[in-house]
Amino acid sequence: MEIEEKLGVLNYKTDKSYAHITIDPVICETCPDRFCTFACPAHCYTVIDNKINFKYEDCVECGTCFFACSHGSVKWTNPKGGHGIKYKYG
Amino acid sequence: MMSEFDVIVVGGGPAGTSAAIRLAQNKVNVLLVDRADPPGSKNVSGGVLWGNDLGKIIPDWEKIIPVERLITRKGTTFLTKDSAISLDFSSRKFLTNRTGYSVLRVKMDLALAKKAKEEGAMVIGGVTVDSVARKDGKIIGIEQDGDTITSDTVILAEGANPRVAIDSGLRKPIGDRDVAIGVKQIYKIPEDKINERFNLSGNEGFAGEYVLGYLPDGVEAGGFLYTNKNTLSVGVVVSPSHLRNYGQMHSYDIMEEFVQHPSIARLVEGGRLEEYSAHLVVEGGLSSVPKLYGDGYMIAGDAAGFSFSNGLVIQGMNYAIASGIAAADTFIEAKEKGNYTAKALSDYQKKLEESYVLKDLRTFKGIENSTWSSMAHRTIPDILERFLFRLNLEDGLPKKHILELLLRSVSESGHNKTSLALEAYRMMRRM
Repeated sequence: MEIEEKLGVLNYKTDKSYAHITIDPVICETCPDRFCTFACPAHCYTVIDNKINFKYEDCVECGTCFFACSHGSVKWTNPKGGHGIKYKYG
Repeated sequence: MMSEFDVIVVGGGPAGTSAAIRLAQNKVNVLLVDRADPPGSKNVSGGVLWGNDLGKIIPDWEKIIPVERLITRKGTTFLTKDSAISLDFSSRKFLTNRTGYSVLRVKMDLALAKKAKEEGAMVIGGVTVDSVARKDGKIIGIEQDGDTITSDTVILAEGANPRVAIDSGLRKPIGDRDVAIGVKQIYKIPEDKINERFNLSGNEGFAGEYVLGYLPDGVEAGGFLYTNKNTLSVGVVVSPSHLRNYGQMHSYDIMEEFVQHPSIARLVEGGRLEEYSAHLVVEGGLSSVPKLYGDGYMIAGDAAGFSFSNGLVIQGMNYAIASGIAAADTFIEAKEKGNYTAKALSDYQKKLEESYVLKDLRTFKGIENSTWSSMAHRTIPDILERFLFRLNLEDGLPKKHILELLLRSVSESGHNKTSLALEAYRMMRRM
């Protein structure tokens, strides 16, 4: 089963006005390892046209990318007001 | 100025809710905030609650908490590409000496939050704490969306990704050595089919831990499979440093590698994927434990690094509960003197040192060097597979003594007998 299909079963209350994680594209541009794309379990980091593409909407708030990035690009905060991932089982 | 609350608890997992329950039971004015709405709906764990710590605050917890199955069968398995080598222990003794239950955290934590409310705590979901509030260097409450809510003490129980503690400078940021990446899938499978597949009856449950010895060289991950009533919790725990060094494999691919292993695939077959989740798993042992208290605050549960695994036994929720209760008791004693300074709250450390929480972390100091090692993930599965295959193969040749077969398997695996024995001895000592 593909990761996109797995993420499809999840419920999110997406905060359209606030991205709780942001990256610095300038830092990512020259990143030698792009470990975020391998570490993130929710496939939020992908490479498109040799640039890091990040979508916070699929984030399950695990915190992996914050320490996976050793170049200081990832700014991590918690979603606000009950937004974000909402599990049924946990 | 009087504080609005005696205690604010940040986080509605087992640590936070246990603290809130204990505090409320002792007439402490406590506010519990969780960033999920309803509280607990962002929480994930592998899913076995060991021990009886909840019994201290909820005598009939087995009825109040929606437990799934009583674990009566435990498995530890080395998986190689072609084989599964297991130590499988099932015992009727577990029916009378209860060891643990499988649980689903969203249901369990909501029940705990409800219990805290019933006992008199104020519980609010959907509240994201930005940082602790400080005055004259002391912590006097929390900052939330531009507001300050004051309390005599803050208990930080925000889990394995403790943003508030990190952003407030109360613990160092998480690194590769502190955590592993946990990925989990829930499959729906009819109850009778689960009983049949896992050789269980009634509400008996199976908890299996696995070593994934067939991943590309250098990538290390463990797996778990726990039976719930009519679902299975199946997941992997991936070492970030190994994944980083390898640099070519996705954490989510390892989840897929696990469920596609022949011996796992048949257990989850036909199951409908109900949920996919990911969560950090605290793995750093004692070296990940931050300063546990200070003027006006204490840190409990995963946020404090309280978790332990030696590959056979995995603990976390019970430490969370025990530490939440210890933090609550520390506050209750401090309140009698009206003193919430670091000195008064240092009793929290003492309580934990006396309990199994810090005792376990001290006993197994450095265990992560054994659980995350090529010895555990590559060498042992490889040698065991060679040995057991040869032992069980009927090839028409004269039989050999077991020890001779074992030594032959060792040398075939390319290891030196002496250095391997020494390494195995060191590993056993740590475990």
